[in-house]
Amino acid sequence: MKKYILNIIVVLVVIFSFYSCESFLDTKPTNVVVSETAMRTLYDAGIAANGLYVDMKWYDYYGTYMQLMGDERGDNIQPRTMSSGWTQIYTLGYDSESNTYFNMWAKCYETIMRCNTLLENIDKLTLTSSADKAIRDDYKGQAYAVRALNYFDLARLYGYPYAKDNGASLGAVIITKVSSASEAKLPRSTVAKTYEQVFADLTAALPLLSKSKNTGHFNYWAAKLLQARAYLYKGDWNNAYNAAIEVIDYSPYSLVSNADYINYWKQEGASETLLELFVTTQSTIDDDGGYVSMCHNLWHGDVSAGASLIPTVSWVDLIKSEPGDVRAQFVRYDSKYEISKAWLAKFPGNNGTNFRLNNPRLLRLAEAYLIAAEGALKGTAGIAKASTYLNAIRKRANPSVSDVTATDDLIQIERRKEFIGEGHRFFDQMRLGKSITRKDSDGYNFAVSAGCPETLTWNNYQIVLPISHTERQIYPTLQQNPGYTE
Amino acid sequence: MAKQTFLILCSFLLIISTAFAQNKVTGVVTDAADGSNISFASILIKGTSIVTAANANGAYVLNNVPANAVLVFSSIGYQSLEVPVEGRALVNVSLTQVAVGLEEVMVVAYGSVKKASYSGSATQIKQESFKDVPIVSFEQALVGAVPGVQVSQMSGQPGALPEIRVRGFGSFNAGNEPLYVVDGVPATSGDWGSENIYTSSMNYLNPGDIESITVLKDAAAASLYGSRASNGVILITTKKGKAGKTVSTFKANVGVSYFAMNNYPLATDAQQEMLLRESWQNYGNDNPVKWAPYGSLNAYVDAMSEKYFPSKKSDYIYVNWEDVLFRTGVSQNYEYNISGGSDKSRVFASVAYNDEKGVNVIEYLKRITASINAESKVNNKISIGGSVQFSNQNQSGHQDGAAKDNPFYLMKVHLTSRWPYKYASDGSYWMESYNGGSQRNPVSQFNLQINDAAQMRLLLKGWAEVKINDDIKVKSIISNDFLYVHDRFGWLYGHVNFTAYGNGYMSDRYRFVNKMVSSTTANYTKSFGKHNIAALIGWEAEKEHFLYTRVGMVDFANFGATESALATTLDEAYTYTKNSNLLSAISNLNYDYASKYYISGSFRRDGSSRLSAKNRWGNFWSLSGSWRLKNEPFMKDISWLDEFRVRGSYGTSGTLPNDYNGYMAVFDYDIYGTTGAGYPVNLANSDLTWEKNLNWNVAFDARIFDKVDIVAEYYNKHTTDLLLDATVPTTTGFTSALTNIGSMLNSGIELSVNVDIIKKKDISLTFGANWATLHNEVLSLSEEGEQIVSRPHVWKAGYSFVQYYTREYYGADPATGQAMYYSNKILADGSKDRTLVSRAQASSSILEGMTAIPKGFGGFNATFSWKSLTASMAWSYKYGHYVWDNGSDDMETDGYNSYANIAASQVERWQKPGDETYLPRRVAGNTGGGYYDSSRALKKGDYLRLKNLSISYTLPKDLRNYLKLSSARVFLSGTNLLTFTGLNFDPEVQSNGYYNFSLPALRTITLGVEISL
Repeated sequence: MKKYILNIIVVLVVIFSFYSCESFLDTKPTNVVVSETAMRTLYDAGIAANGLYVDMKWYDYYGTYMQLMGDERGDNIQPRTMSSGWTQIYTLGYDSESNTYFNMWAKCYETIMRCNTLLENIDKLTLTSSADKAIRDDYKGQAYAVRALNYFDLARLYGYPYAKDNGASLGAVIITKVSSASEAKLPRSTVAKTYEQVFADLTAALPLLSKSKNTGHFNYWAAKLLQARAYLYKGDWNNAYNAAIEVIDYSPYSLVSNADYINYWKQEGASETLLELFVTTQSTIDDDGGYVSMCHNLWHGDVSAGASLIPTVSWVDLIKSEPGDVRAQFVRYDSKYEISKAWLAKFPGNNGTNFRLNNPRLLRLAEAYLIAAEGALKGTAGIAKASTYLNAIRKRANPSVSDVTATDDLIQIERRKEFIGEGHRFFDQMRLGKSITRKDSDGYNFAVSAGCPETLTWNNYQIVLPISHTERQIYPTLQQNPGYTE
Repeated sequence: MAKQTFLILCSFLLIISTAFAQNKVTGVVTDAADGSNISFASILIKGTSIVTAANANGAYVLNNVPANAVLVFSSIGYQSLEVPVEGRALVNVSLTQVAVGLEEVMVVAYGSVKKASYSGSATQIKQESFKDVPIVSFEQALVGAVPGVQVSQMSGQPGALPEIRVRGFGSFNAGNEPLYVVDGVPATSGDWGSENIYTSSMNYLNPGDIESITVLKDAAAASLYGSRASNGVILITTKKGKAGKTVSTFKANVGVSYFAMNNYPLATDAQQEMLLRESWQNYGNDNPVKWAPYGSLNAYVDAMSEKYFPSKKSDYIYVNWEDVLFRTGVSQNYEYNISGGSDKSRVFASVAYNDEKGVNVIEYLKRITASINAESKVNNKISIGGSVQFSNQNQSGHQDGAAKDNPFYLMKVHLTSRWPYKYASDGSYWMESYNGGSQRNPVSQFNLQINDAAQMRLLLKGWAEVKINDDIKVKSIISNDFLYVHDRFGWLYGHVNFTAYGNGYMSDRYRFVNKMVSSTTANYTKSFGKHNIAALIGWEAEKEHFLYTRVGMVDFANFGATESALATTLDEAYTYTKNSNLLSAISNLNYDYASKYYISGSFRRDGSSRLSAKNRWGNFWSLSGSWRLKNEPFMKDISWLDEFRVRGSYGTSGTLPNDYNGYMAVFDYDIYGTTGAGYPVNLANSDLTWEKNLNWNVAFDARIFDKVDIVAEYYNKHTTDLLLDATVPTTTGFTSALTNIGSMLNSGIELSVNVDIIKKKDISLTFGANWATLHNEVLSLSEEGEQIVSRPHVWKAGYSFVQYYTREYYGADPATGQAMYYSNKILADGSKDRTLVSRAQASSSILEGMTAIPKGFGGFNATFSWKSLTASMAWSYKYGHYVWDNGSDDMETDGYNSYANIAASQVERWQKPGDETYLPRRVAGNTGGGYYDSSRALKKGDYLRLKNLSISYTLPKDLRNYLKLSSARVFLSGTNLLTFTGLNFDPEVQSNGYYNFSLPALRTITLGVEISL
């Protein structure tokens, strides 16, 4: 009998030992780190600073969409067939309801939240050495600069060009701190206010940032060039010029030579690159380096498929109009599938080994030259300076051409030639109030057959992206862009 | 007090065991209905553990029987009978077959009860009802058999998890799957596949090893499972050994299968060509500039037709793609089990092998299962037992949905009759891109892609029961449930994706789940005159440990390589663990008086590691009662009414978040350049708590004319604090956050009727039918008037959880053939603008009455037996709901995609002014069409299906006796033999109504034999 009583006692002891042990119910995951402990050292802060960039390289931002918004909505790049190659971007066929509304809105706010998280936590570090403090300041500066880039992109994707209405149209929602769901339901500001935020962030960033070369991260020079670009978009020509020439004159970067130009696109950390995003792993197949794969003749490694995205005939004609242009080497006709159509061999991938691993170049020195040219032409620096900076880029690409006197058209043509695949063309035409006219290579413009006007100006409502209908259901104060269904 | 009781008890036992003389008793056990001998009945001396078994002819011998002893005769399928010996040496008895209905014993939460004393809502399915049906997963036995339970096929691929919804949708997205409890232990369940393959972890159970399945539906039945009971509980009882002669049974069946219906019929070759030409003709008419370079519109149409639907060339071999992509599936199943035991120990052991070759050449499933279930009485006080269940399953499959690896999708959408199969010259595969996209001849790719999963499951269980005294028993169970899943995905040398991702890609993923459950319960049962009390108290602790390992590599070193060991570049490799623990106290009290009034209550307290410390403890309870009116004097005289009782229950249950750490804010890490990159991945929510359910249920059970059993129930399930990975403003930096929002109601009527139409010695016919309704309504969300769009559904107060939300399609404009939609813009007065507009101007809105909730569903069945022949059939049906046919995106493009197949339905398109049609004019490249994301995808889902029909023949007794077989049967069975539906694809769609090219259900015909020695 004793035995049973003993058994019962054992059972009871087991029960109570479990009950007394609340820690049995405290479990922690091992694949993630609980946020309170995520930023306790300067090393952790550096990891968090890398976290600002890591998702900007995905297909839904600088991996694909951002470039295509500039090139495929423009007249540089188009889908080869009407069934593949982001045709909705080409035809401006996005709407607020379908799941292909190219939600860079959410993407930008994800990175903005990371900037805000870093900025709110980094000052909690106790640092003594000035070297450590300088590193901390650089991280803070990067957070400000990355935030500025995201607000700048939100302004040009979702807001009308500054010049159209002096920044009066709807811009971004300005979020500068980590916000809960209720705190984040703010109405949209204007484009002008969004630019104010961009400039405020850059002003905060510049004194904090290091001036050393660091191509995968914002440094002083990259932030300065972004500032020049933002001034250019705003039409503040003198400030654009001043910021651009500071980069040209004082930064440690230099234009690559004509001979090195083709190889430049294979190189990480090359002399002309101010900011690129590191794409080193193929962690999730198909996502990193997306549009570069689609431009490539070996799309998905499959020769017979050919490129899904091809340069337009008008761009090909343009680049061939002056014989000897090194950039004409990007145009190749060795597709197995449709050899009558060119493909764009600009991006061979890092080291030229795997085109799917391609660092997108966000800021490079050539842009500083062309901003300086445009700023000088339209501002007070004058046409001579403008011609100097324009000719530097023209002659780098084609030593056989003679100098020209700068005009706005020549500058825009040069930008079109130089920046194909880098996402500028559409935004450039729009910010200047110019039009885009698109003809397909075989005379068949299916953008038109899908209801897209052949010629686009800033009066077309589709030149800005829609706000997600789904999000507006829980967040009705988020204003829709005009022309889209609510 | 306890000590006194104990002493009294001991002395009482002593008196019994010594006071009376003992004799030998013999006799024969027969069937009360036909007088035939009952083989192997068990005979127990009441109050002792002395048991013997009758022989094959029903004869038994028992020694040392006290003259005043009471013998308990029992045999499976018969009511046990207690007979006082009264000094006799010969005791012949006849047993009556178990009455169905309230005398039936059913397995319920933490025990088993007589149906009559159970006031909860539960349905038990016995093994007899599905033993001849060729099923791989036991869940299919529930189809149409349990009122209020919807079972649907997620995919026709072998190994796929059937979806089960008990009384509607309990949750938004914390999961709606019920809890599975096997022999008293909560089991790891669910689909453990990836986006590439399905593999249900419950597949480890061989249906032939299952004795019964009980579905617990209301709070009284399920709230003892507390924080996991909201979606219902499925209790599985496996077979146990039986005392008496050792019986071994061998069962084998072989089946063939193919699609149960002709899914998405295509237009004929000639029609496709005609429809394609028409789309280009129309396009050319609209855009003369396009055909100008061709000289004439006709020349242009000819050129386009040749481009998109080329004429057949003698250089190529063409095929009917279905013939090369699909085959007749073959399944084989072999089972052997052995059951036996003595009065002290009983054992059941089984092995089974199942081999399925799917209808696609790369689909297969091979499974071996083995189990041992043993128990032993150590002495009068202590019984111990244990079980081992093991399974090893290997399977291969393909992606479902509109994926380029899904042969069903490719066949229906992309592979046209003009897509060459092989080169005529050398018989090699034609591998070009037919349509400029990435699809290739899939037949050549089957052997070059690896997409498989291996699953191993081992359940170990040990238990001990101590009888403290006649009234109190304490039982402890310790179990360990081990699940190992290894799935692989790879592209080998020669695959079209081979060079794209390095030279070849191989990904391996290993998941281990180790779940330990320990419970101890004490049972107290006591009768005082007409008062009966049964009480249960106990605790349970559960510890689940999850380990995840993943290795992905690229660049095969050798063209024959199939494993990542032969790849040279690491793509990714990592491992992590997580834990989920649960601690619970359980109690239950049942009281009944005079077999008339029954009351029971239960209480459970759960603590879960998935919630923050301030919210982790929750209480769940239920109260229920029933009144057996028939046993009241005032009803005694109603002769046609054999049984009548009413019952009701009220109580709570819960649902835990799926996410183990969803309440914490955490950082995740990636790599940027060569160093780490960290970032927050979710919004913290320390207020996160479980979903709570408040349920009530009222019902009556009746049996009339000794023929008809009726059960009618009404339930009402009110869920609050719904767990939702809710959409949050993206300006937070996140797209969603795990939140408790809103409330939802599920209610419905369930009715089931069983009729013994004929019940004679040699012939019987029974008929059963059930019908259930479901009302599902979201009652509130976090804010008044809020609507959450989760296409194609919307969640909004006042609408069902699966309410459709899309553009409303009208049809073709009779004048122009353009697709027309209702504007449905919400006007200032809140009404919808009903103007007809084009697609671009049409707004999505809630489409009243368009929901995936059926108006009614259920099944009916009939069993007929005549002498040695038994035939049974089971039907299932569902009506009044809409399904979202996402396949119409690809099947009915109105000309958008010139390269694709054209569905037969497109023949009904608009052709000329004046045509009143639903389908618009076909135009090449048409994007103004209504073919995607509009109510054109919504179709009435009504169906009636003959789920199974089986006929079995049992060898006559004389022949069996001659062959020394205790049983021998042959059976022929078919599933999904007939389907009636208005849909042009398989109607067994998952409960949210969404269908997107998953492999449709199959029709299977099986021949089998079962022999027992």
